[in-house]
Amino acid sequence: MLIKKMLRTAWSYKSQFISMIIMMMLGIGIFLGFNMEWKTIEYDTSRFFNDTKYADYRLYSETGFTKNDIKSISSIDGVGAATRYLSVNLDIKGKTKKAIALDVSENFSVSTFVLISGKQYDENSDGIWLSDKFANTNGISLNDSLTLEFQGAEIKSKVVGLIKSGEHMICVADSNQLMPDYKTFGYAYISPAKLNTVLREKVISNIAEEMQKSGITVQTAKEKAAQIITDEMITEATDKVFSQINLRSNLNKAELEDAVKEKLGKTIMVVSKEDHIVYKEAMGEAEEGKTMGSILPVLFLVIAILTMVTTMHRIATKEKTQIGVLKALGFKDRTILVHYSFYGLLIGIIGTVSGSALGYLICKLVMSENGMMGTYFDMPDWTAATPFFCYPIIVGTVILLALISFLSVRAQLNGTAADTLRPYTPKKMKRIFLERYSLFEKLNFSTKWNLRDLIRHKSRFAMTLVGIIGCMILLVGGLGMRDTMTGFLDLLDNGISHYATKVNMVENTDYQNAKQLIKELGGDWESYTGISIDGYTATLDIVHDNNDLISVVDKNNKKIYLKDDGAYLCMRLADRAKVGEYIEFSPYGGNETYRVKVIGYNRSIMTEGITITDTLADKLGIEYNISSVYTDKKSGDIPPSDLISGKQDKKQLMDSFESFVQILNSMVIILVVAAIILGIVVLYNLGIISYVERSRELATLKVLGFRNKKIGKLLISQNIWLTVAGVIIGLPAGVGVLYWLLSALASEYELKLMLGPLTYIVSVVLTFGVSLFVGWLVARKNKNIDMVEALKSAE
Amino acid sequence: MSIVEFKNVSKIYTSGDHELHALNDVSFTLDEGKFVVILGPSGAGKSTLLNLLGGLDRPNKGTINVSGNDISKLNDNELADYRASTVGFVFQFYNLIPTLTVYENVNLVSEISKNALDAKEMIGKVGLLDHLNNFPSELSGGEQQRISIARALCKNPKILLCDEPTGALDSETGIMVLKLLLDMAKNFGKTIVIVTHNQNIAKMANVVIRVKSGKIRSIKAQENPLSAEEVEW
Repeated sequence: MLIKKMLRTAWSYKSQFISMIIMMMLGIGIFLGFNMEWKTIEYDTSRFFNDTKYADYRLYSETGFTKNDIKSISSIDGVGAATRYLSVNLDIKGKTKKAIALDVSENFSVSTFVLISGKQYDENSDGIWLSDKFANTNGISLNDSLTLEFQGAEIKSKVVGLIKSGEHMICVADSNQLMPDYKTFGYAYISPAKLNTVLREKVISNIAEEMQKSGITVQTAKEKAAQIITDEMITEATDKVFSQINLRSNLNKAELEDAVKEKLGKTIMVVSKEDHIVYKEAMGEAEEGKTMGSILPVLFLVIAILTMVTTMHRIATKEKTQIGVLKALGFKDRTILVHYSFYGLLIGIIGTVSGSALGYLICKLVMSENGMMGTYFDMPDWTAATPFFCYPIIVGTVILLALISFLSVRAQLNGTAADTLRPYTPKKMKRIFLERYSLFEKLNFSTKWNLRDLIRHKSRFAMTLVGIIGCMILLVGGLGMRDTMTGFLDLLDNGISHYATKVNMVENTDYQNAKQLIKELGGDWESYTGISIDGYTATLDIVHDNNDLISVVDKNNKKIYLKDDGAYLCMRLADRAKVGEYIEFSPYGGNETYRVKVIGYNRSIMTEGITITDTLADKLGIEYNISSVYTDKKSGDIPPSDLISGKQDKKQLMDSFESFVQILNSMVIILVVAAIILGIVVLYNLGIISYVERSRELATLKVLGFRNKKIGKLLISQNIWLTVAGVIIGLPAGVGVLYWLLSALASEYELKLMLGPLTYIVSVVLTFGVSLFVGWLVARKNKNIDMVEALKSAE
Repeated sequence: MSIVEFKNVSKIYTSGDHELHALNDVSFTLDEGKFVVILGPSGAGKSTLLNLLGGLDRPNKGTINVSGNDISKLNDNELADYRASTVGFVFQFYNLIPTLTVYENVNLVSEISKNALDAKEMIGKVGLLDHLNNFPSELSGGEQQRISIARALCKNPKILLCDEPTGALDSETGIMVLKLLLDMAKNFGKTIVIVTHNQNIAKMANVVIRVKSGKIRSIKAQENPLSAEEVEW
């Protein structure tokens, strides 16, 4: 019988019950969704990295690694497996603006791939294993032929397999590209045997070219070259191209660096997986998820629980007479408490179950092949993993809700059955602190009434304020994030990159070699070198920006006119040295240490490091290679050259952000919708409570002759005040949260917080819109208030 | 001169299939400046009658003329204006706004009534000037009812409607409140209609209307009504 009563009572409070269930669903859903997202990133990527034997360390040498080198490295204690590795970006012949990263691994127990379709890997195969996503996007099928341009030679192969590789799980051409764009860039593997064939042909071709200078025909030169070519020549060419060793090891970085130095007799640049773009970005995403997950869900869950406290208290006071009747009938306190605790339990269970479903959906919306991360990560398996701590929190929340019901009802059960039978008496009215001032007396009735009502119902007042502030934080945070990212893209497009095409140079291209090409292209250039600053891996960026095709900017995004008398530290390294102090660094692959004065800080888009001019680099005697040349020539107008490893026009680069912007827009929409739902649910629920609590007063006003409109205005004016207060607090709080989020993300990007006037306007207008809409919904109920009924009983 | 005229008024409440005839074809008139008591047992229809006269509800049938205006056809806003200008209410449970002080509760009516009297003066008339800044919860029941009377009169209404005004008070306080009501009505020349089931209060009235089962059983004029002090409780 009590169960029937419970269900019917629940139904009679349906608007409160439904809003509490929605709040719990949102609270649990967002809590679970955000936490599942980062956990799933960690879980799925780890599994994929494991399946494809992702390397723990990468060793780089600009002069390449020999077979002896790899033997020595493999013999280090603690190194499990190691391979000479080649990964080079190559253009696809006959397909404009399409390039791939071509990988070769001599030992297929490190940095491998998983086969999606086609033939298994064979180290003697002539074929090419191509990224399935790149193949699908560009209409390439198994057995299609692909020709790649490799340092003046060609690699021609049939596609024998479609694959996914951990090394290229985030498939970007270089660190300047934020998002993969499979229309223009993919990856592929060939066997070492195929590489050997290609290099053999390239060596023959090089020898033949030399012979042709003495006047013999191409054919004869090639035949003669094929006869005189030796294994040593091919080995030398092979050693040169294997500029990377990938290995799996449980040693720490310092231990490995020491061991490598001991074995090879020189300092080698060792990059741990934590600093490799794919692993770093994936873990960065997980970290971002954790950061985001630590604010939003807490906000929602806390608001949900506080709403529950306020609402259950209200229901318990309204049910006081019913509780008294049950007590008078002879039901024990314990039975009544258990009965009413079921309300909280019921809300908790329905809210948790639906919230878990919502959480799963949110997680899948982000982490699935067709979800937001689907355009970023290229993985074969997408699951959904839940961090363990979520389980006790969810169970704890359900118990807490039941406890809230229990405590709310227990407060009404005190005393005898006769005491309980009496209706709930609100607290006595006391003077509020504002009344000490004579100004208070001058306030009109509506203001006094609302002020005192707020003080009288502090928890409702606080909750409403929290709801509005939460709504505001979400709106400013979401829209501000978009503004910041739009500003970032604008900076990249208009503030930093003034070139038409970025030409990537093959490795080991020094300035003397590239001089002619740079002159022809009329370009600026950059050189990236791995350096160690007190053991910390960073990048030395040597910039030649005389033609203003690229710019280095300061923290205010203003162009820095680079000076030759010192170095600029990126903002992430700012705490390493003050302006005027000196900083020391050592390029990997050598034993020199350089000391330069810090003369400023710059905002670096991606790389973390030190920027100096080429003039200063020359003065210091730093040896460097040209990484990229920037030109205002169009991609098609650039003459072919052995020195060019790939080209990327600016439009292509900016287009690659398209999917990134789409993800961002989806996130913003989610946040805006969440803000509106949060605002509506919290404000409506509290509005109804307020309306019920004041129904007697409202009826009195009506009896006295107040028109419905005037009473409605009275109710809405309270909403407006709270909204004004909420907006005043919520706006800086939103900016603060956004600032905090950006600081938390600062290890990856150096983003400048930007907020457009439209963000402020939209956030304020939407918050006021929600508040006024809910105020109107509640105020219109006033029309139906039954004056006679409301005034019958004693207060 | 009659100020109120009920003509063939019926009020039916429906609850599902069930119909309750709270008032059934009721007709009567009330003269200005009189002290009228509507008497009857619980469920007789006396509160319904008062609610209709006060513009809190509309009849299903018939017309209610107050000062020559038919209030039975007024819309919500017109009824609100009628309540603001023509009638003052005194309830059994006072219905003061708990978040407003004594002065503010009385002065509240100046927000809606063009002819409102001075609130402080009215509070003085009910003898509670010392409590101007107290909240209702700081007053006794009798004091709260006196404030309620001050508030009703502050609107300067033509008719004062009282629903069991002494129902929640002890006899001594009840007598004091009734005396106050009579004095005020006399001083301000108001028509007072009191709804009660207390036969003793009827002895003070100029006119006693007895209601039973939704019908008027009798209307009796009393030549020499008793004063509040003379009434035996």
